[in-house]
Amino acid sequence: MSFMPKIKIDGKEYIAKENETILQCAQRNGIYIPRYCYHPSLSIAGNCRMCLVEIEKMPKLQTACSTIVAEGMNVFTSSEKVKKARKDVLEFLLKNHPIDCPICDQAGECYLQDYYMDYGLRKSRVSLNEKVRRGKRRQLGDYLILDNERCILCTRCVRFCEEVTKTSELFVANRGDHSFIDIKPETSLNNPYSLNIADICPVGAFTSADFRFRQRVWFLKTTESICLGCATGCRIKVQHNDNTVYRILPLPNEETNTWLCDFGRMTYKEMYSEDRLNHITIESQEFGLDLDKVFDYIKEVKPQEIAVFLSPNLSIEDNIALYYFASNVLKTENIFIPSLPERKIEDGILKNSDPYPNSTGIEIIANKLKLKKDEKTSEKFALVISSLEIAKTYARDSKGIFFSLTKSDMNGAIVPMKSYFENEGTFVNWQKYARKTTVSVVNEKAFSVFDVMKRLAVLFGSNSFFSSLKDIEKFISSNGIDKEFK
Amino acid sequence: MKILLDKISFDIETYIRNGGYLAIKKAFSMKPAEIIEEVKTSNLRGRGGAGFPTGLKWSFIPADKKNKYLVCNSDESEPGTFKDRELINKNPHSLLEGMIIAAYAIGANEGYIYIRGEFAKEARILEKAIYEAKKKWFLGENILKSGFSFNIKVVRGAGAYICGEETALLESIEGKKGQPRLKPPFPAIVGLYGGPTVINNVETLATVPWIILNGGKAYSAIGKGKSSGTKLFSVSGPVKKPGVYEIELGTPFKDFFENQLGGMKEGERLKAVIPGGSSVPVLTAEEAMKVTLDYESLQSAGTMLGSGGMIIIPERQCMVEALWILARFYHHESCGQCTPCREGTGWIEGILKRILQGKGKREDLNNAKEIAQNMMGKTICPLADALAMPVISYINKFEKEFVYHLEGKCPLCQK
Ligand SMILES: Cc1cc2nc3c(=O)[nH]c(=O)nc-3n(C[C@H](O)[C@H](O)[C@H](O)COP(=O)(O)O)c2cc1C
Ligand code: SF4
Ligand code: SF4
Ligand code: SF4
Ligand code: FES
Repeated sequence: MSFMPKIKIDGKEYIAKENETILQCAQRNGIYIPRYCYHPSLSIAGNCRMCLVEIEKMPKLQTACSTIVAEGMNVFTSSEKVKKARKDVLEFLLKNHPIDCPICDQAGECYLQDYYMDYGLRKSRVSLNEKVRRGKRRQLGDYLILDNERCILCTRCVRFCEEVTKTSELFVANRGDHSFIDIKPETSLNNPYSLNIADICPVGAFTSADFRFRQRVWFLKTTESICLGCATGCRIKVQHNDNTVYRILPLPNEETNTWLCDFGRMTYKEMYSEDRLNHITIESQEFGLDLDKVFDYIKEVKPQEIAVFLSPNLSIEDNIALYYFASNVLKTENIFIPSLPERKIEDGILKNSDPYPNSTGIEIIANKLKLKKDEKTSEKFALVISSLEIAKTYARDSKGIFFSLTKSDMNGAIVPMKSYFENEGTFVNWQKYARKTTVSVVNEKAFSVFDVMKRLAVLFGSNSFFSSLKDIEKFISSNGIDKEFK
Repeated sequence: MKILLDKISFDIETYIRNGGYLAIKKAFSMKPAEIIEEVKTSNLRGRGGAGFPTGLKWSFIPADKKNKYLVCNSDESEPGTFKDRELINKNPHSLLEGMIIAAYAIGANEGYIYIRGEFAKEARILEKAIYEAKKKWFLGENILKSGFSFNIKVVRGAGAYICGEETALLESIEGKKGQPRLKPPFPAIVGLYGGPTVINNVETLATVPWIILNGGKAYSAIGKGKSSGTKLFSVSGPVKKPGVYEIELGTPFKDFFENQLGGMKEGERLKAVIPGGSSVPVLTAEEAMKVTLDYESLQSAGTMLGSGGMIIIPERQCMVEALWILARFYHHESCGQCTPCREGTGWIEGILKRILQGKGKREDLNNAKEIAQNMMGKTICPLADALAMPVISYINKFEKEFVYHLEGKCPLCQK
């Protein structure tokens, strides 16, 4: 049994956890203490002094982010003394801060702006020529731009590179009010997680070169979803406006991820690539969105010569649609899953050695439905149905129906597929967490795999295919597939 | 009564002839806990500036842990303070002997002397003294067959005042940027390379051999009230005899000033006294004449004993200029991690410079005091306070001179 100290915050009693800080205890109980340098996933620096609180019997204010609770502690988070200290710290922070808000891309999600409105509001007693000038706009890597004049020296970025990626590219150069964030000579800020720095920088000092100036943040809408960049399946927030995705942010959660990798954040870009497919292509000829042409293309092939490969790129629902089409419409036994990479996090952070988002999911399906593993059998078949990426391995020389986001010169019918920012579907990550993507933007020039299979089933004259996603869900649970999910 | 600068011993032979290295022999016959008790009884307080009771500090070191360290703070970079340098010059072995005893008491086998970079000569003196002590088996493995081993390394600073702050000093020894650490944990629990560590000032450690030889009681009998023992003062300014003095705590400033310092030089008049190094509040001449030189009296006069770096300020010195020089120093030396210190020191310096140059505004005086007030007690280390306190005391006590600068020409500095 661990010891649970009783403490008082702003007059109310709380049971704290052993060894937690005042800030954490307050936060758990819905009391917000302003902070800059504190970040729940980084070490405590205690340098910004924004979180000062009053503790009975202590003459000086104490930093809530670093002070561990103790039995009987009586904490005040908004006494006059505390309010004044916050105001003072803000005034110090703004002493050398440029008047950049109108041209700063952080505006709207800036902790200096926010706290100034909440705790500051004091007439400036600094004239412009008194401000220390520092470097502006420096590109420090492929994705990051640093404006040192806006930096409040909270060292979150430095600690991130030291503690999370362990690449230590950044450091605080010089000292006093001439301190600035610098990069070690002959390095660049290109570690695979660099964009997290733009997220954790509380002000507009580090901004994302990808997102900068594309949208004012107050116009953005957010949907919660998952990243399909690898088998880790990080939870994300998709930010979009006017049917366009602008950026991906992490949705921190205890199970999987606090951060995101840069690769994952950029996956949305495939939707907007020049090669995005928006019509059906059969043997290099374009056919708009007419699925009948796909049917015409395959109707002559004998079902025994068709193979269906479930795909770790597709959702559980779409894979089940593929399976059901093969077994109930084509009535073929040629249903396979491809050989799948090993799943592990080699860098100790997030990136999975398996680049597919649903390998675990189709393994579960294969197991429950007793499907065969690949066996590189594809050559025997006249026609393969799968996602394009899998088809690249298994259908090099055969015809096929391939689902793809982008154009391809593969020999077959290439069907434009909705991305999972445009479509909903369940993916099972390497930890067996089943999570759903959400429709963030709408695309009417592409299909979901389920749409296609449903239409083809009709054209094949079958009337026993799933009529809605609900039917697929029923199939999933009646076969006990979802029992394996976390 | 003199303890530290009683007999001067440049080399080990002289030191031994003067009774040196007897204290370690006595110490080895005692239990470590007894030594700590003795130092507690002596009432010895840290001479580095903060005045923390030395015996108590040692007693925080966990007895059962390994990898413990003893570090001697010889960074001495505070403007006006130069007493440790004198001590190292005139009596280096007293420091080594004190360190051996302290290390034995806390169970540390490794010691460091972190010495200000500019003290090149003193670093060589210490290296030589360590070499001499090793040859006589006072340092090294199994010292005097006591079973206790202890080695000392000298590490030279690189010019940053902040490295005198004990945890910035530890960072610096570890090869990192000199920045104070967030406390807790205190060095007694997590110190150098993560091990329990005691950091003491040169003067503090050099006092220890006398206490062991003569007993804590004898030491506590010297001085006045809770301020036991003798203290070094380094005196600068236009007095007849500036320099380093060892005096009994509790000596009236007036006596010290008139009898030992010889009063002001011809043609100079006393205006103000900084009793304990640049970071303590200033006393007017009138206030100074009423104090005795000890922790309590100076504290009740609103200032501090500090490091004992006494700066005597003559009537002709412009206090605006003096304060600006101070502010420039602290601005330059702020390590910059805490917001109030990083931004406040430069802000204040700018305001003072403006006032000094006759470009100040009336509200600047209040602003400077308010900024100082807002910095105080809110930072990781006391450097912010070390500027804030003088700012408030100078402006309050010598407002007239600041007004000269705001309203026209200063009769003192002619600016
Ligand atoms: C900015 C700053 C500079 C300091 N410089 C010194 C110094 O040069 N020498 C010193 O002994 N203590 C210095 N101190 C005090 C030390 O942090 C520490 O309190 C002292 O070394 C402890 O030794 P003592 O207990 O023997 O006094 C400084 C403190 C601060 C905040
Ligand atoms: S760049 Fe941003 S994260 Fe880094 S220290 Fe400055 S304000 Fe903090
Ligand atoms: S680690 Fe994988 S799931 Fe997470 S953000 Fe990167 S690519 Fe996406
Ligand atoms: S008070 Fe100043 S010198 Fe001390 S840690 Fe903070 S910024 Fe550094
Ligand atoms: S959040 Fe506590 S000091 Fe920065």
